[in-house]
Amino acid sequence: HLLEGERFSTQVGPLFLCILPCMRMQRILNEGPTRAKRGKPEVVQNGLLRPVTLSRGDLYKPPTADELNQLKEAESLFHCSLLKMQMEELLKEVSLSERRKQLIDSFVQSVTEQLQTVPQTSDMELSDLSWLSGGVKVPFVLVPKAAKGKFHMAPPISVTIIGSYPLGTCTKPGISVDLAVAIPADVLHPKDALNQRYPRKRAIYLAGLAQHLAASPAIGAMRYSCLHGNRLRPILLLSPPGKDSSSFTLRLHACPPPGFFKPSRFHPQRNNIRTDWYTGLGSSQPATSEPPTPHYNSSVLGDMLPSAHLQFLTAVSSQCAAFAEGVALLKVWLRQRELDQGVGCFSGFLGSMLLAYLLSCHRVSNTMTAYQLLRNSLHFLAFNDLTENGITLAKGPDSTPSLAEFHTAFQVVFVDPSGHLNMCADMTACTYKQVQHEASLSLQFWDDPTVDGFHALLMTPKPMIRTSDHVFQLCELVKLQCCCKKLNLLSELMDHSGNYVLTALPFILSLLQRGLGQRVRLLTHSLTPDPEVSILLDAPKHNTQPPLSFGLLLNPEQAASVLERGPPADSPKAEEFRQLWGSRSELRRFQDGDITEAVVWEGETTCQKRLVPRQLITHLLQLHADIPESCVRYIGGMLDDVIKVGREVCSTGEEESLKVVQSYDDLSRKLWTLEGLPLSITSVQGAHPALRYTQVFPPVPLKLDYSFFDREKLSRSLVPHEVKPCPVYITPIQVICHMEGSGKWPHDRVAIRHIKAAFHISLGELLTQHHHYTCQPSPTHLDVWKDGLVFRIQVAYHREPQVLRESVSPEGLLIVRDNAEAQALEMATMQRPLLTSTLHGLQQLHPCFGAVCRLAKRWLGAQLFSDDITEDTADLLVASLFLQPAPFTPPGSPQVGFLRFLHLLSSFDWRNNPLVVNLNSQLTGEHTHNIKNDFIASRESLPVMFMATPNDKKVSIWTKQAPTVQVRTHTCSTFTSMSHPISYLCSTLYTVVMRPPLDPYDVLIHLSPKQVPLLSQAVDPPHATFSRGILAGRVANTGGALPVIDFNPVTHYLAELRDAFGDLALFFYDPYGGTVIAVLWKPKAFTPLPFKTSQMVARRVEVSGEEAHTVPNVEAILEDFRVMGQGLVKSVEPRTERWVV
Amino acid sequence: MAPSKTKHVNQACVIPGGFTVLSLQFSTDSVAQHKICVKEHRVRAEKTTQRPLDRTLFVLNIPPYCSEGVIKELFSQFGPVQSVELREKPGSFEHSGPKLAKYFTPAQKQGFRVGYIVFQKAISITAVKSHPHDVPLVVSTEQRPVWTGLQKWIHQYKQSFAQPDKLQEAVDTFMQDYDKRKEEEAERQKEQAEEQLEDEEGWVKVTRGKSGTKTRPHSEVSNQKALQKESRKRKRKELMNFYTWQHRNTQKEHIAELRKKFEEDKQRIALLRAQRKFRPY
Repeated sequence: HLLEGERFSTQVGPLFLCILPCMRMQRILNEGPTRAKRGKPEVVQNGLLRPVTLSRGDLYKPPTADELNQLKEAESLFHCSLLKMQMEELLKEVSLSERRKQLIDSFVQSVTEQLQTVPQTSDMELSDLSWLSGGVKVPFVLVPKAAKGKFHMAPPISVTIIGSYPLGTCTKPGISVDLAVAIPADVLHPKDALNQRYPRKRAIYLAGLAQHLAASPAIGAMRYSCLHGNRLRPILLLSPPGKDSSSFTLRLHACPPPGFFKPSRFHPQRNNIRTDWYTGLGSSQPATSEPPTPHYNSSVLGDMLPSAHLQFLTAVSSQCAAFAEGVALLKVWLRQRELDQGVGCFSGFLGSMLLAYLLSCHRVSNTMTAYQLLRNSLHFLAFNDLTENGITLAKGPDSTPSLAEFHTAFQVVFVDPSGHLNMCADMTACTYKQVQHEASLSLQFWDDPTVDGFHALLMTPKPMIRTSDHVFQLCELVKLQCCCKKLNLLSELMDHSGNYVLTALPFILSLLQRGLGQRVRLLTHSLTPDPEVSILLDAPKHNTQPPLSFGLLLNPEQAASVLERGPPADSPKAEEFRQLWGSRSELRRFQDGDITEAVVWEGETTCQKRLVPRQLITHLLQLHADIPESCVRYIGGMLDDVIKVGREVCSTGEEESLKVVQSYDDLSRKLWTLEGLPLSITSVQGAHPALRYTQVFPPVPLKLDYSFFDREKLSRSLVPHEVKPCPVYITPIQVICHMEGSGKWPHDRVAIRHIKAAFHISLGELLTQHHHYTCQPSPTHLDVWKDGLVFRIQVAYHREPQVLRESVSPEGLLIVRDNAEAQALEMATMQRPLLTSTLHGLQQLHPCFGAVCRLAKRWLGAQLFSDDITEDTADLLVASLFLQPAPFTPPGSPQVGFLRFLHLLSSFDWRNNPLVVNLNSQLTGEHTHNIKNDFIASRESLPVMFMATPNDKKVSIWTKQAPTVQVRTHTCSTFTSMSHPISYLCSTLYTVVMRPPLDPYDVLIHLSPKQVPLLSQAVDPPHATFSRGILAGRVANTGGALPVIDFNPVTHYLAELRDAFGDLALFFYDPYGGTVIAVLWKPKAFTPLPFKTSQMVARRVEVSGEEAHTVPNVEAILEDFRVMGQGLVKSVEPRTERWVV
Repeated sequence: MAPSKTKHVNQACVIPGGFTVLSLQFSTDSVAQHKICVKEHRVRAEKTTQRPLDRTLFVLNIPPYCSEGVIKELFSQFGPVQSVELREKPGSFEHSGPKLAKYFTPAQKQGFRVGYIVFQKAISITAVKSHPHDVPLVVSTEQRPVWTGLQKWIHQYKQSFAQPDKLQEAVDTFMQDYDKRKEEEAERQKEQAEEQLEDEEGWVKVTRGKSGTKTRPHSEVSNQKALQKESRKRKRKELMNFYTWQHRNTQKEHIAELRKKFEEDKQRIALLRAQRKFRPY
């Protein structure tokens, strides 16, 4: 214990130092506005950061001693104080305003007065509810119906505010103020704790209050709910009337008068619900053999202690200045992780209690700031397992139950100051594990200087669908009733008073945990939200609860394994294994000679193997819990369909990519061993997405039907035929081949091009000679037809970009100027191969990287953005999700990666932030800091999307050309509108996500499907298929005529359109089998311009008096669309009249 | 029936700026027409034989499917055409470098272009300018069809094949030519160097042995390097902390730096606050 204390102090020590300067900082911040008034121009203009410019006077005026100290301290604690400032701002956002506090106080006052005037009624039977009038119902499921006892209404003996509001830890949003209404002692009976009599009386009392308050005009809407989803503890929600109705809610808790029940009655081992009463069967058992009802007990006990808890917490928080702020931060942290609401949640109350615990055992000190409190509580959560070693706030070992007793009854143990109540009674072990996981994850990235810790920690929401790799839902919860029966859970059902969902949940979780084993790192489940119903409706049945969602965080190495290897057949554990897996378990003999029990799941390709957890879960649920497969809605590979390649075997392209890479490796080896070249080869590098596993549809080896094609006269190569459908599209796979530097290379750009052509010729000759490949050299590249694939080899000379940059001035001076040509060459021959090999490495680390890239690019294509966000850019964006996943873990399935990609696009603030893609983790904190400063200093001149990589810190080469500002604004609106369909993803049509909205476009050019070679890749499978000159069967490795390479009429057409009309319109197209080109006129181009010889492109002249103006000649342009695409264009459909000028 | 021979009621359309507007349509059944503007080429500064002032017609807004050959055909109806030059932007005539084989000429942008048409006779210019506005020129007719779209791309694809031996030949001829030029250049430089040995008045500049020291390379980068070296040398000699005012200045600079950093932070926070970036949900 002592050791731990030491570690704590060393860890906290440096943080401790920063309190004082931070406080000063705060003061300076508050002074800010007065300073700005002294004539300094406002720095923040239209939401864009600008480099700070201070006048000379401001910068160099003599400093006061005070300012000097402040500055020095701020400098030495720079990182920390910025974080601190951010937290202060956040706290301001969530704390309650004075105005709202006044509103709350006055409303509480009026409700209290109302409550005092509740009329007294005469005694009647408990089961007789006829006195309730006005349609008010009782918020309780009265099963079983029989109940003994008397009841009458009476005004409460006291009304007190409890909970977070008086403590000052109440935060926005969803402000709720708790009011404890004490039921008079004469309404209750000391034996009422038995057989749900007290909970029923409490519910009926609430109904009575509701009936009384309904008449009052000072109260707005009234609803019933229950505390943390516990159906035994109903509460009444009151809203203020009028326009303030949504600003807060008042929660009325009915509770027994202080000290009415003896706490020892609610020991977790004791029974308070008799089986014969619950089942209605007469066979009475002796009281000793009745099963314990810990959950029921704690629900009653929880009603007796709130004011004691409030007293305790008030005492603690008066000691520690930052207590309330610390709790507020913890609440924000929990809320972002969806942990603070619902059944068995880690509520704000638990957060306060945890801090109180840490303070009481001196793990944190009273003088710490909110920031340090948060950090230490997360540290505590991350390293202490309350499912094994519970903690208690009780002081002395008196008559209270021991921790061990609590552990037998509950999964998570955190005992309150009285020593009788387990505050985590409803929490499942899985929820606590999730809290632990989140805490340790947060600590990991908190101090990483390359990550924006504040943002990841407190500002990023983590919904389950974006956090878990696979998600599944149990839909028809009624089926859980059978599950309880099957699992023989009568006593637990009694304990939960018939809530079969909560009863079955822990058992299902432990079953899945056992079955999934090492496949998952974390199993999480959604917390059922508190139901809210009108006071005029019956209490909701258990089956009306929303579906239960479960999230799996997969272990990438093991999740996709098809084999579940069990113990040897003769070991005692074998029986257990067989029992778990049922008929799926079989004896198998393995290569190492062992004969063991094993389960083998189906799955050949990667995409099928990824869904092994699904087979496993449905099997287990069916076998052990009687939950049919139809109830399980598994969301793990929803989007796989759109990138499926093979028609016979279902595959999402991993296998095909591997084949391409293998073929490339073979080619590369053969190139290295070629002899007879004038210069030797220094490197062979791939420069194509297919060689880093990210090509949306990786090239597949093809066997050609020669009779389908024409032949070129001299080389006998195949060429397309005019009347037949466009032949199959064959992607050339770029390979860059660097030649050694030598004095023989000329120092002239044109001459280098000629020499490279000569290299292409001789490389081709050698390859044909030694390996019998069909080759076609050209000045810019060499095409090699190999294994049914085409490789396009480009010879490169490392000094060529330098030569392109050099020129000689008229004075004979050699000057070096950067130019577009040199940059393009450098990009093609150096940066792209480097990127390809880096991302290839990333794929080896994260097996689903390629699939996420493919999904992302497929989506970009379908949304017609492929030309703006290029392949390389998209790959880098996806890489950033894997390299900086905070606050998540790296995506473990294509689906979750894709969803995060969409979220990144729709939420990232490109105007004020550079996206740093830390490839190979080469960038340190200092680098990122410098990148950010450089970025702000020259924001205006930088591209719209700025991405920095270790090799490119200042320019953002990949996004330099595209997207442009116009496109960005256009796409931005689409991204935000796109973030909605994600939520349906779980429900119905996933292809909705993929279909582009065509409404905003001005002209649609419909293409003839016959001439679109990639038609079969379309999102919606085409109606008609065309013969494109391929045969089924084995592909020959070498020889054969050269096929039609890289011939896609649509790309030719688009290039011509952009060349001709790029100034007037934007053209959008889905490169993966789209049959529509969408055209958007540029609004600027349609304002009449004065006649100028340089601005007379596709325009007509309008003469008015002496002046001539030009406007676009739209009819002629539309005619040109048809003319230029003759044979390809089916129709041109103008949709808007915007161009009428 | 050639439209230039029959006199229509309609006159040529001349717009301010001196251009005559002609209509041009792709084929006889096209529904829309492009408007091309023509004017005699008149630039005083230019004195080239390629664009004789009196016989050259300057044409604006030529659609992408009109190649040099098509334009030549199209304007032959006004008189024999000597040459056609199509360019992306109007500008003076440029000499291209050494003649390249067809494989090595860079691909051109296929957009709208401007043209310089040189007629054999000056009279053709006036014929063009008086051409009536509503009689369009037709690009593609049955006699001389112009390929666009699929047909054109397939044709282009067929043309893109380079015969390895022809290509090799082109490379060889160019490289021979290049080597020859290099040699000539080297020889010329050598001669120049020899000339410099003895100037007009008979003075000879004496340098150290030719093979010994390497003369400084004559380039921008090396100039800059030399300058930097100089300034570094100077800096090393300077005493930074000698005078009191120097010391004071460094302190001032440091404080200014700190102030700037602090302002930056404050600005960042202010911006985020303005954008409501601190609202967590």
